[in-house]
Amino acid sequence: MGSIVEPWAIAENGNANATAKGLSRELRHGRTAHNMSSSSLRKKSDLRLIQKVPCKTLKNILSNLQEVILGTKLTLLFLAIPLAILANSYHYARPLIFGLSLIGLTPLAERVSFLTEQLAFYTGPTVGGLLNATCGNATELIIAILALANNKVAVVKYSLLGSILSNLLLVLGTSLFFGGIANIRRQQRFDRKQADVNFFLLLMGLLCHLLPLLLKYAATGEASTSMINKMSLSLSRTSSIVMLVAYIAYLIFQLWTHRQFFEAQEDDDDDAYDDEVTVEETPVIGFWSGFAWLVGMTIVIALLSEYVVATIEDASDSWGLSVSFISIILLPIVGNAAEHAGAIIFAFKNKLDISLGVALGSATQISLFVVPLSVIVAWILGIKMDLNFNILETSSLALAIIITAFTLQDGTSHYMKGLVLLLCYVIIAACFFVDQIPQHQPNGIDVGLQPMNNLGEVFSA
Amino acid sequence: MAGIVTEPWSVAENGNASMTAKGSSRELRLGRTAHSMSSSSLRKKSDLRVIQKVPYKGLKDFLSNLQEVILGTKLAILFPAIPAAIICTYCGVSQPWIFGLSLLGLTPLAERVSFLTEQLAFYTGPTLGGLLNATCGNATELIIAILALTNNKVAVVKYSLLGSILSNLLLVLGTSLFCGGIANIRREQRFDRKQADVNFFLLLMGFLCHLLPLLVEYLANGKTSAAVLSDMQLSISRGFSIVMLISYIAYLVFQLWTHRQLFDAQDQEDEYDDDVEQETAVISFWSGFVWLVGMTLVIALLSEYVVATIEEASDKWNLSVSFISIILLPIVGNAAEHAGAVIFAFKNKLDISLGVALGSATQIGLFVVPLTIVVAWILGINMDLNFGLLETGCLAVSIIITAFTLQDGSSHYMKGLVLLLCYFIIAICFFVDKLPQSEEFSHLK
Repeated sequence: MGSIVEPWAIAENGNANATAKGLSRELRHGRTAHNMSSSSLRKKSDLRLIQKVPCKTLKNILSNLQEVILGTKLTLLFLAIPLAILANSYHYARPLIFGLSLIGLTPLAERVSFLTEQLAFYTGPTVGGLLNATCGNATELIIAILALANNKVAVVKYSLLGSILSNLLLVLGTSLFFGGIANIRRQQRFDRKQADVNFFLLLMGLLCHLLPLLLKYAATGEASTSMINKMSLSLSRTSSIVMLVAYIAYLIFQLWTHRQFFEAQEDDDDDAYDDEVTVEETPVIGFWSGFAWLVGMTIVIALLSEYVVATIEDASDSWGLSVSFISIILLPIVGNAAEHAGAIIFAFKNKLDISLGVALGSATQISLFVVPLSVIVAWILGIKMDLNFNILETSSLALAIIITAFTLQDGTSHYMKGLVLLLCYVIIAACFFVDQIPQHQPNGIDVGLQPMNNLGEVFSA
Repeated sequence: MAGIVTEPWSVAENGNASMTAKGSSRELRLGRTAHSMSSSSLRKKSDLRVIQKVPYKGLKDFLSNLQEVILGTKLAILFPAIPAAIICTYCGVSQPWIFGLSLLGLTPLAERVSFLTEQLAFYTGPTLGGLLNATCGNATELIIAILALTNNKVAVVKYSLLGSILSNLLLVLGTSLFCGGIANIRREQRFDRKQADVNFFLLLMGFLCHLLPLLVEYLANGKTSAAVLSDMQLSISRGFSIVMLISYIAYLVFQLWTHRQLFDAQDQEDEYDDDVEQETAVISFWSGFVWLVGMTLVIALLSEYVVATIEEASDKWNLSVSFISIILLPIVGNAAEHAGAVIFAFKNKLDISLGVALGSATQIGLFVVPLTIVVAWILGINMDLNFGLLETGCLAVSIIITAFTLQDGSSHYMKGLVLLLCYFIIAICFFVDKLPQSEEFSHLK
């Protein structure tokens, strides 16, 4: 449980888990860019107080607790969780429950990432990578499935779309921007092979969203609405299966056959620490305790997400923001906060490969795994969710992918690139901010408003 | 007949005696493009021993000629489909059968035409040979398009041409990159992106020509009548077609004359350099010419059957005409090139696979499509470049995905898999697109 402290690590506010050499060793343990970025938010555990507790078991429990609960700078936000539960039991104002749940979700997402990384020490690199790939977006997945269970298909679509946009534009933009400002005299390079793989997978996802949309437009007036919806639904469901196949192939590619693309660059500048003693990478909690914590935290995430999904309309009415704005902009910012901070920190240190790995990897995971999984879960539940995200959202997605792909295609970066991506995100956010179309009234050109109709029923109920 | 020196490598390749690395560049100097080289991988070495026993010389020559042309391909077993299709038509067998048999018969014919053009190129020199190959390389698609036009089936024309472009960009390229990537999984696969780039900006220009008539349709605010809009679409389509043909001629000049070096296959795996092989034609010029004309006539006949029976087949097999035209027809017409491209990708000669796939797509996009519009113009049929919203969207995304995938000059199996899956998704889209026939015509015209 002890960690050897180096001057550099102390300078980093006690984050003892990442050195340049340690990075490649971490990768061999299956830690992806995700883990490494989140680990930057960790605090070195202060074990001195606990050493004084006499009973050994109690000491172990307390260290475990401290490691897990207090091991992050976001610990303060943990208070929001009991507050949210209290507020729900005592029927306080629903917007308040919404806000508290959102705040409570932030540290939970980070802790889940920490726990997956700890478990990866025990399971080996491949399974660890898989675990990370699946649990990395636990929050988005759980919110999506809960919203589906409540038949709020529009919220699902918006929140998933917002996650992709947030990863592509917001996280990447702020990372590149701050990294560019901090390294303004240095040239920042990254390996574009990894970025390329993510981009053509994202383009394939875009194709899957585009075709049902075009199908509806092409067939409007030619065939009945129900027939169009049926076609769009079958196409979406089959496309989802294809997307999942592509995702599995991507995992094979990333974790097995072409690992070398995805390993972080050996940065020459910071290799001053190579000669110093490297940190021994060991897990800080046992396997079963980690597993138990993971399950427990997932349950709490599910609980808070339940509150979020249930109270979203009330919050929207009360705060004067449309549900689409809250789903596309607010929810993803919250769900992604930990990764976001980590990506920025790594960009500051000119380790762009990791920032890119975080942002693009998340976007690919959501687009090719969470979205089709939601469609299939909806299929099983008998809910009609298709891949048609409507023209405004799909165009935003298309332009975001194209702009980001183009920006990253030469393998270098500077602050201007980050600024442009950031401003694009602000523009899209502004667009959805002013989009005050009431949820239960269909848009002029939207045909087959299955999700809108469902939402309308929810309102009228 | 000409003797062919066999090398260990070619024997290992199931008797394909026409290809060596050095021979490749020599072949290119003789005007063989990537097209002919890929198709030649389906050729069989002629077994001339049986014929040597025939005493009479003229008959011997004739028989060798026959054997070389008819039996010189692994696809020879599909040849019986041709007489079967003809017999079925005269006996009045059900139309879907005729459709299927004609499709099967077209496959070896397309390959043989490519073989014959390559043989003729030996006599005509590189430039003319390249031109011949560029024109005849897509003979099947061109003939089907013109025949469908004369039967006034404009939708079939549009769908089949679009399907050819999509099939070349996504299916052929996807399978090549995927199989090549799996086979060469420990090696880095590189290719010269200059050639790919030329094809892509031509395809993008073609896409622009399709996009503008489509957007014109959406100009209607209820103020302009449909007739005026159709007129606009027609005139700009015809104008664009002429521009596209001019750019195609410029592309030929670029490819065959001023910038040949961009299109020469990379000299890789040069262990065959020392095995010099004599490249000579296996049939004479006039016999090759006669065969070419004959085969083109048979292609025309089978295409006539295909075009005539497509609706019946669509009803019987419960697939929409759009699905058959976009997916089935191009797979058949392209089968030989497809197989060749995959084989070259296996051998890590990606330049050739790319040359085949992208070159075909460019030819169809910039030559066959505008030529068809000009022919329609002459025949007085109203065909424009508006291929419909869904189809144009698919085309746009395909070009963008493929261009993006190939822009870094390297390849791995993941790229091929993604392109393949995109093709599959587009195929599913047209599969579920069960719009009844009459409505399809109305929204396309």
